[in-house]
Amino acid sequence: MIRRVSFERTLFADPPQRFEAGTPHIAGAVGLAAAIDYLAGLDREAAEKHERDLLAYATARLRELPGLRILGEAPRKAPLISFVLQGVHAHDLGTILDRRGIALRAGHHCAMPLMEFYGLPATTRASLAFYNTREEIDRLVEAIGYARQVLA
Amino acid sequence: MSDDYGDLRDLYQELILDHSRHPSNFRAMPDATRSVEGDNPLCGDHLRLYVHLEGKRIADISFQGSGCAISVASASLLTKRVKGKTVAAAEALFHRVHRLLTMEEAADEAELGELAALAGVRQFPMRVKCATLSWHALHAALRDEATEQVSTE
Repeated sequence: MIRRVSFERTLFADPPQRFEAGTPHIAGAVGLAAAIDYLAGLDREAAEKHERDLLAYATARLRELPGLRILGEAPRKAPLISFVLQGVHAHDLGTILDRRGIALRAGHHCAMPLMEFYGLPATTRASLAFYNTREEIDRLVEAIGYARQVLA
Repeated sequence: MSDDYGDLRDLYQELILDHSRHPSNFRAMPDATRSVEGDNPLCGDHLRLYVHLEGKRIADISFQGSGCAISVASASLLTKRVKGKTVAAAEALFHRVHRLLTMEEAADEAELGELAALAGVRQFPMRVKCATLSWHALHAALRDEATEQVSTE
């Protein structure tokens, strides 16, 4: 932010305004406050327990699928499951799951060196959170089976 | 199987799946007169297109790389279609396919042949870049000797 600008010179505002460009991100601040209120109203322990349960359930269900390989199984990892399906590229799988109303991330996840380490072009990743349900994981497993039918 | 997702069947037609599993002209070309690398950095699709020009004719064309079914099938169909064609005919085809994939232009099967199978991609805007990757690489290889990399981002 400036204090005064002329053809001859620019006088900047004092810090911290000096380092702020233009209009502050007001909508973002309001949104952040709403998100904090929402999260503060949750039973955090119950939410965490639910996420742990979902992760265990999803891991077990996905392991049932032949040709599916889960990447990253650290004992205390966040409720995220990256996986590859033999013979099916992550983006083709992502498109089909999307059409079934299931939103997953497909690609290199901004981690190309890691993909290189695994020798993979891309993975598909399910990101679970406290608002997900076991029923949704069942739908995911069913939709992966459908994708295999379409692409097989 | 009950199938409520006809647009997925349009996208993943048998022809597309066949070409993705068994791509034509999938090989390196040591004596290529031009080769261009194509990248789709957002999804990680990557290919190298090789062209062997004899005068104004594409005597041979091939590709290598990794990508989704759409990008591999599109590259395979491309090489099959433009091999033996003149540079001018291949360029005209590039523009035709580009219009097919990005505009509501009818897929004229008499004119396009197997390439008409790519029309299903239009219903999936996120996937258009997969289908156009190899075509942009072809366009770059034919147009400009200096270009060695293209990106559909």
